[in-house]
Amino acid sequence: MRSRMRACCACGLLVLGLWGFAPGARAALPDDQRFPAAGERLLLWVASERGRAEPELRAAERLAAQGVETWSLDPVDAYFLPQLPSSMDAVPLPDLADWLRAGLKGGKRVVVYAVARAAVPVLRATATLGPEERQALCVLLAYPNLYTVAEPLAEPDYLDPGQLDGLRVRVLQPRRSAATPWLPGLLDHLALHGAVVSSTILENLREGWWARETPTAYEVAESGRLDALLLRELDVMECE
Amino acid sequence: MKRLLLSCLAGLFLASGANAAGFEARPAAPAPGLEAPDLAGTPRTLADYPGKVVLLNFWASWCPPCVREMPSLERLRVKMAGRPLAIVALDSAEQREDVDAFLERMKLGFPILLDPDGVNTRRWKVFALPTSFLLDAQGRVRYVLTGPTEWDEGEALAVIESLLAEQAASSK
Repeated sequence: MRSRMRACCACGLLVLGLWGFAPGARAALPDDQRFPAAGERLLLWVASERGRAEPELRAAERLAAQGVETWSLDPVDAYFLPQLPSSMDAVPLPDLADWLRAGLKGGKRVVVYAVARAAVPVLRATATLGPEERQALCVLLAYPNLYTVAEPLAEPDYLDPGQLDGLRVRVLQPRRSAATPWLPGLLDHLALHGAVVSSTILENLREGWWARETPTAYEVAESGRLDALLLRELDVMECE
Repeated sequence: MKRLLLSCLAGLFLASGANAAGFEARPAAPAPGLEAPDLAGTPRTLADYPGKVVLLNFWASWCPPCVREMPSLERLRVKMAGRPLAIVALDSAEQREDVDAFLERMKLGFPILLDPDGVNTRRWKVFALPTSFLLDAQGRVRYVLTGPTEWDEGEALAVIESLLAEQAASSK
């Protein structure tokens, strides 16, 4: 009896082991910081390649206090990556896709918010979701950097984010950014991959205004109102 | 004689690696079009600078590295007075009042052109600020620099001198 049990356990472990190494196996959820709230909305916040800044955490807390549950993921910290745009290519997409699925499981209206180059793994992870899962998501991207090559005098070349059919994507573009004149091309690129795109210009702000070395008085004030900006955009998106 | 020596030094400097500090030498190719008003509202094009080496600088007043390199552009203007070099700074995708507010704080003697809708920025495929182009006297792009530099010294000055030396040789 005991030997049969031992054999069963061994088989079970073997199966578990194979499960763990099988292609498409369930990935580990990345470490995040969660700010629970009782409201109907969930914001999945993915910080930029520069890492999560203190004003972003404070905004997440304030969002939760206003009923928007917020999960804050810092990919640089979660995966011990250098603070470089190229690090975002190293974020495991199965982990991120499972994180998105975990968000969807709660039955809340889910908006994914990604900053700068973090848009790349977020879009690619959403592209791996099933059509129904993807259509249940809304995506907010703050000044997404999707370039592969951006050389002076040459046409821009964008990364392939995968098929985004039906995915609602809204881009938040600070006016004071070298990328602003290129926003129409970026939106076209996302639409070409099936996303339903919209955008808004954030006047008088620069990229990463909440973490700049020499912020303007307006940027300081807006850093303290990051939650209000995101709430406004969540309302505009009307993500059902 | 002094100018000849400088040109030789510039040549040596460039031969030892013009790309080392960020200047990217490009095969001589005609520059894209430039059509932008100056601060007086007069439409300007590259044809306004015939026979001159042109330093075209894309910048914005909100961009710290752009602002940081501006004094060196002004020093370069003073240093090069009387020589066939035109310094042109094109403000990228900003409103006039923002440019005016900046120019109140920093007095610059070279022409500032305006590109409020970013048409020229897109035409020149500028994706980062500052980005600068050095054009030879035939209006061809010869060097590109993404990022700031000290324009009145070192590699920047050497590159400019090399183009001025070419211009001098061809006009003989």
